[in-house]
Amino acid sequence: MVDTTKNTQIYETWGRNVAKPVNPNVAGKVITKAKRPLLVVASELLKDEKLVEKAIAIAKKGIPVAATGHSITALMDKGIDAKYINIHSLATFLGDARWSGLDGKGSYDTIVFLGHKKYYLNQVLAGLKNFTDLKTLCIERHYMQNSSLSFGNLKADVHFEALDELIDNL
Amino acid sequence: MTDIKTGQISIDDLENVQITIGKIVGAIEKKAKDEGVKVGPTPKPGISTLRSWDHKILSRYHPVYTPACDQCCYCTYGKCDLSGNKEGACGINMAAHNARETLLRVITGAAAHSAHGRHILHHLIDLYGNDKTIDMGPSNLLAPNTLAVTGIKPETLGDLEEVLDYVEEQITQLLATIQVGQEGGAIDFESKILHGGMLDHVGMEVSELAQVSSMQMPKSDPDTPLVEIGMGCIDASKPVLLVIGHNVAGVTYIMDYIHDHELDDKIEVAGLCCTAIDMTRYKVENGGKPRAKIVGTMAKELKMIRSGVADLIVVDEQCVRADVLDEAKKLSIPVIATNEKIMYGLPDRSADDPKDIIDDLASRKEDGALILDFHVLGQVGPELAIKMSKIRDEMGIKALPKEEDMQGLASKCIYCGACEMDCPDNLPIMEAMKAGVDSDLSKFEYLHDKCIACGRCDQACPKEIPILNLIEKASQKLIREEKGYVRAGRGQISDPEIREEGVNLVLGTTPGIIAMVGCSNYADGTRDYFKVADEMLKRNYIVVTSGCAAMDLGMYKNEEGETLYEKYPAKFLAGNLINVGSCVSNSHITGTAIKVAAIFAQRQVAGNYEEIADYIANRIGAVGVAWGAYSQKAVAIGSGCNRLGIPVVVGPHGSKYRRALIGKPYEEEEWKVYDARNGEQMPIPTSPEFMLTTVESVEELLPILAKNCIRPSDNNMGRMIKLTHYIELSQKYLGHMPYDWYNFVRTETDLPLAKREELLKILEKEHGWEIDWKRKKILSGPSMKSDVSAQPTNVKRLCKGEC
Repeated sequence: MVDTTKNTQIYETWGRNVAKPVNPNVAGKVITKAKRPLLVVASELLKDEKLVEKAIAIAKKGIPVAATGHSITALMDKGIDAKYINIHSLATFLGDARWSGLDGKGSYDTIVFLGHKKYYLNQVLAGLKNFTDLKTLCIERHYMQNSSLSFGNLKADVHFEALDELIDNL
Repeated sequence: MTDIKTGQISIDDLENVQITIGKIVGAIEKKAKDEGVKVGPTPKPGISTLRSWDHKILSRYHPVYTPACDQCCYCTYGKCDLSGNKEGACGINMAAHNARETLLRVITGAAAHSAHGRHILHHLIDLYGNDKTIDMGPSNLLAPNTLAVTGIKPETLGDLEEVLDYVEEQITQLLATIQVGQEGGAIDFESKILHGGMLDHVGMEVSELAQVSSMQMPKSDPDTPLVEIGMGCIDASKPVLLVIGHNVAGVTYIMDYIHDHELDDKIEVAGLCCTAIDMTRYKVENGGKPRAKIVGTMAKELKMIRSGVADLIVVDEQCVRADVLDEAKKLSIPVIATNEKIMYGLPDRSADDPKDIIDDLASRKEDGALILDFHVLGQVGPELAIKMSKIRDEMGIKALPKEEDMQGLASKCIYCGACEMDCPDNLPIMEAMKAGVDSDLSKFEYLHDKCIACGRCDQACPKEIPILNLIEKASQKLIREEKGYVRAGRGQISDPEIREEGVNLVLGTTPGIIAMVGCSNYADGTRDYFKVADEMLKRNYIVVTSGCAAMDLGMYKNEEGETLYEKYPAKFLAGNLINVGSCVSNSHITGTAIKVAAIFAQRQVAGNYEEIADYIANRIGAVGVAWGAYSQKAVAIGSGCNRLGIPVVVGPHGSKYRRALIGKPYEEEEWKVYDARNGEQMPIPTSPEFMLTTVESVEELLPILAKNCIRPSDNNMGRMIKLTHYIELSQKYLGHMPYDWYNFVRTETDLPLAKREELLKILEKEHGWEIDWKRKKILSGPSMKSDVSAQPTNVKRLCKGEC
């Protein structure tokens, strides 16, 4: 079992509410228990083929994907439910009960993030943290302090192990 | 009664008495009236005057806050935790506080530009007098922002004083609302942000009107010379005088001294940031040759200083690093501060003999000097640079590490990751260190273009490894090849050019204006900007640029070895690349939009801001891109564009501005306007879908640009062209047809010609539209009609029968 909670050092401060560090098995359970989860991936995914594989494996567990940036280019024709959307628009719509989601089936309750620029995602999460009740879960290599739950800071190989363990728990 | 005029008068009977009349109250308004200039309903608007227009914008484009801090520490009640949109001790909540934070940044930027304007205006009035005529080239509409906002039609430098009086008063009023216990509503902070942005464009325009008119800068000239750019174009064998900042006033004395003393070939004068741009505009009107080179943007500042190439650094104002003096001192480079905004604690030598100053700085008795007298500066600068060149050569100053030391420095790394975590882009520095231990410097070289040279890695390293120096030393070959060309800033777009191109813009047959502006805090290196401009120029968009963005576009060459400035002409026509000039020249971009409304559509401009903005919002397909925006000035510029209805995209770092204005395409009621012919509501396309947003990558950006140039006024040909680009760019960069393309189709003639049949089939099969296949016509389905006679407006009072 990979421990993804050890290093939660932060390099910039936002405030007193910071993400709870989680292990992969717990993260897997959080996603499984969600009524309507959404996996949000971004263009950093494209920098590592392995990361793309992990995102596809998670999506294949039946989780819809919001592909931000140009990450959609790696996710088409893979037998998953992935759709492009700009992340700033997505974050705006996620907080709006009137939005019917990417597929018209309604809004989401648990948002999972993978493959983002650290500074960009933390900023987007600051909006979600302060203005919505959504549960946010970051399964990135870096500890994302503005989410509800997050992996800690990880080395690349440990990150992949953690993602494998998470996928096994879905 | 005889009208009194400004100037000096003597009275015959009174000996030795001369009366100077500087300003006559109401004179500008009277002159405008005499000339038949009608002034609209809102000259010199106060904070609340255009509030209803702002609220119209904000009802479609919702403020979205992404706080940079969960707390407020403005007063001693706090710190207050506002997380979860809680209220602090004063009652302000997170949304309002973040809008207030944004306002503070906007007025900081507006103050920087207008204070720059005030400084240069005073300087030029001292030189040329109040009556110096404003000359911007072959135009009647010389000051579109000024006229639209204030109702003033300035004709002389003296007329600009009143314009700045207005701007400064309004900025003070806005600053007052930041005080605790003032505004509490986020929506009204938002309106104030737009007000501040509008003021910024007036302040910038004043700077440009003054300097272009008085400094022999190009005046609406599409054939300005090409200027060398890049660290590689600097001839280090000569004494190098490096200028950093934005205000060209002082350095013109240095340039004149060099020219007058026939030192042009003996000294290398180079600049960083917008002073560099304006140095290359100085006295190049009517075929003059540029007398300076451009090093590049702020991202090159620390790199250039640490290269040790400069023999003297002269700073003025804005975008100058706070540590220039400390960094320069390490390499025995004297620093001269020339503007009250940056003085670095240096002794004021303005009244001293130039020779004494040169002696003190050359002997290193002093590290630098503050010189506010430009005559003194003009002499000290060149003479000191020449002297320091010899002294520094003799000292044998080596700036960057030696090649043989690189491996040793890299092996000091303990791989703690502090540098990567502190790096704004989390660049892979540790990988470069690992490779460096094995004498492989290629990974440091890879970092060179991506690194913005902020120096945070150096500060973070517990082993005190000079990381930026390692990157730069490893990249010496790349740096030597960093040579490009920028077309010198041409100034505003002339009235005749607007007459020629305005119709194409409004009907959409020229697909849009992409305004590439702002700083160099990019997400993934400088080359991204080149890629965007090249793609849009090939597609016949007009690309307008300024400031640091204009510089970076000149740093790269295409497959044929040409920079974009060499490849594309610079007229205001489809497929042209136009560098308007420096940061303050951004006012020409909004000015162009105002000119289209005035000249092409004959809308009244003076004091008629709302109507002009309404016209632009509905008809002119322009999008601003500030891909590397970092400064307060950039957010002020963007906010000014927004109030005129021009959307702006910033790169991912722009999320740190903590606010966006984003529309909700699924809220149909929010995408309606009036038809001014009859006052009836009409649906409009969901474009622009934002006023301010962030985008992650250039691949995502390109289709967004095409889509957000779509406007209600497009004719069928125009819509077809715009839709073609949107679809093609989505397919090229995102790999698929955009999901919402059909929302922009009003009739079959809006469809891209080459794909018409294929798209009609999709409309029928996937969206249930009814098609007459014999005539290949759409019978039902579109949510809006194609009606080129429609007069879309957001303002009810502009509808027939309302006035």
